[in-house]
Amino acid sequence: MAIIVEGRVITFLWMIITFAVMYYYMAIKKDKDYMIRTLPALSAIPEAVGRAAEMGRPVFWSPGMSGPLNDSAQGPQVLASISILEYVTEECAKAGVEITAIMPLPDAIPLVEETMRTAYLNQGKPEAFNPDQIIFIAEQSPYLSGVLGYFQRAKPASNILVGGFYYEAVVIGEAGNAIGAMQIGGTNNTHQMPFMVATCDYVLLAEELFAAGAAISQDPDMLGSIKGEDMVKILLMAIIGLGFLLGAAGITVIADLLGV
Amino acid sequence: MSALSKLANVDSRVFYWILFIALMVPFLSPIGFPITIAENTRDLYEGITDDEVEEGDVWIMNFGYGVSAWPECHPSVTVCTKALFREGAKIIFMGPHYDVELTYNKIHDTVRDDFVDKVYGEDYVFLGYITGGESAIAQLASNIRSVYPVDHFGTPLDELSMMQGVNTHEDIAGVLSSDTGDYGVHFMTQWQAAYGSKLAEIGIAMNGSTDLPRWQAGNYFGLSIGSRGGAELEILIGELGEATTAMDSISVSHLLLIFAVILGNIGMVVQRRSS
Amino acid sequence: MSQILRREAVYAFTGIITILMILEYFFWPTPQIWADTIRTWAIIVFNISLGLGAIRLLMQQSMNVQKRRENWQYSAMLLSLFVVMLLTGFAGYFATGLQTSNGIYDWLFINIYTPLGATLYPITGFYIFSAAYRAFRARNVDAALMLIAGCFVMLKNAPVGEAIWIGFATIGNWFQFTGQIPGMRTFSIVGAFGLMAYGFRALLGKERGFYAGGE
Repeated sequence: MAIIVEGRVITFLWMIITFAVMYYYMAIKKDKDYMIRTLPALSAIPEAVGRAAEMGRPVFWSPGMSGPLNDSAQGPQVLASISILEYVTEECAKAGVEITAIMPLPDAIPLVEETMRTAYLNQGKPEAFNPDQIIFIAEQSPYLSGVLGYFQRAKPASNILVGGFYYEAVVIGEAGNAIGAMQIGGTNNTHQMPFMVATCDYVLLAEELFAAGAAISQDPDMLGSIKGEDMVKILLMAIIGLGFLLGAAGITVIADLLGV
Repeated sequence: MSALSKLANVDSRVFYWILFIALMVPFLSPIGFPITIAENTRDLYEGITDDEVEEGDVWIMNFGYGVSAWPECHPSVTVCTKALFREGAKIIFMGPHYDVELTYNKIHDTVRDDFVDKVYGEDYVFLGYITGGESAIAQLASNIRSVYPVDHFGTPLDELSMMQGVNTHEDIAGVLSSDTGDYGVHFMTQWQAAYGSKLAEIGIAMNGSTDLPRWQAGNYFGLSIGSRGGAELEILIGELGEATTAMDSISVSHLLLIFAVILGNIGMVVQRRSS
Repeated sequence: MSQILRREAVYAFTGIITILMILEYFFWPTPQIWADTIRTWAIIVFNISLGLGAIRLLMQQSMNVQKRRENWQYSAMLLSLFVVMLLTGFAGYFATGLQTSNGIYDWLFINIYTPLGATLYPITGFYIFSAAYRAFRARNVDAALMLIAGCFVMLKNAPVGEAIWIGFATIGNWFQFTGQIPGMRTFSIVGAFGLMAYGFRALLGKERGFYAGGE
């Protein structure tokens, strides 16, 4: 009797290998900190906040339509976006810039509120936080209308559009361009990446969105997990390359093995 | 600044008006360009017809799109519903959008002739609105009645003859998920990847390039992309409809876009040369 | 319970649920009752959050009206429509089991709410047009190649392309299946790895940024 369900063995093994490699790089004694390449989008956040301070206009943040936090693909994007929100809010609190968060996600409201409140507290300005900075608008179309209306009224100087975006990415991006805002985007939704690249000045694509938290905090353990992730990617590339060469020679052992 | 160099900075609103007017022309005077059938669309059609579907098979049709996506998704859903009904399959209609009832009413309108000899509860049921995201889809695979104890009209599932003995993924022959990007993935991860359920996607054009790798990998046995997919399916079933009519407008908009891009690049080149 | 203990309890609870669901997926071929219970609770929690969102919306808009803030009239309209939809929906539900059986609810939903929502999606087409006009510029070799490939793929998707020249479809297919799809597949794979790493860090309690600043 098989211990692991048939058809899921390789998935299980791959998960174990990935976690083991990541944990290894997180746990080993490090002579020097791991370096990850500079993410231009994150480096641009202080610039975006500074721009807003100079222009006397607010900063806008939104995680997009995304999905509920229990969604395996969208939930983590929302959480990663909130990690970036914490950084942005701290910068805004430092500079005395107003930040507005418009979101259509009811289950993330408490997280956003707590994150923003703590960010202001960390900067020694708890009284500057106003819960009305967080605007909840349910459903995609009303949310989009609300954002477009906010852009016309408040004309934010900088837009931080990171999260699980759907078709609103191009609409909000273009509307932001129309008002002359500096835009930093980011999503793991592949169908919206081209639109983000076309409309935003800086973009976090795919795994960069998830690595943002580690890049901001520079926590050695988190950076270690990213190094582990890169090692697993190298292993995967080697398997793909080997499978490709063997497949070209008519040997399908790798493909057959991956289906176990 | 010369006139040509101004082409690089034309106000977007000019293009919006030109596009708005140009899109109306084909509706008033159809052109009728020929449409070739893509392999992914053909796979979808062949997967729901002939030997692939047995009489009495129960299929799920997921209305994962709202009214705003009707032009892109509904023509394909119409054809697939017709095809399944004509093979004698039974269909469970459901959806995660608040306006799913409107879509259900519309399918009655667009598939009117095929619904005539179908009996609610015996040949099709409408379970209604589902909420809970991916967890709900996962739970649906293991116990339909835990997510839908009653149908949309309040009838317990046990009182519907076609739902007798239908409660898990094993009792479902296949799933057709028509959505704007999320529920197809939920069905893929929680049904197709977990249990090997037969799954096809009827998606919007924006998600086409994301869904094509999944079709190539075999996660989807077929794929219909946007209005074009709907037009191709209408040709395959031999009944032209809304999507075929819309193809001419799509042709016009694509040509206009290429024209605008060329103008923009001409303007950019002239600007560079003059500076 | 102290703030720290509360936070650690959240992470511990999340980790336990994650491990249970992973174990169920890999070690049991059929869904288990205890896993079904967890999934059902996930649905319940999500639905509770919908109510939370509605309450927050009402509180915020009520404050706007109460304090006569800018554009408070719109908040008043929202509140009144909320009440109307709620009451008529309940009336229909208690009468026949279907909200839409109430005439007012049905009329407002079909004739006001749905067309407004349906209007916004086609706006995407116009915005894509202007985004493409701005972005598709042959500023360098890479951009020029992308522009050419994009034009071929567009003409392949539109029936007019094949009508003008069959080569548009052939070359467009080549660009799509040789370039675009492998590229999308790459993004999907690396995105999935990023997801796995993020989930692993969250499981270990390392990823804390989303929970009260991680302090």
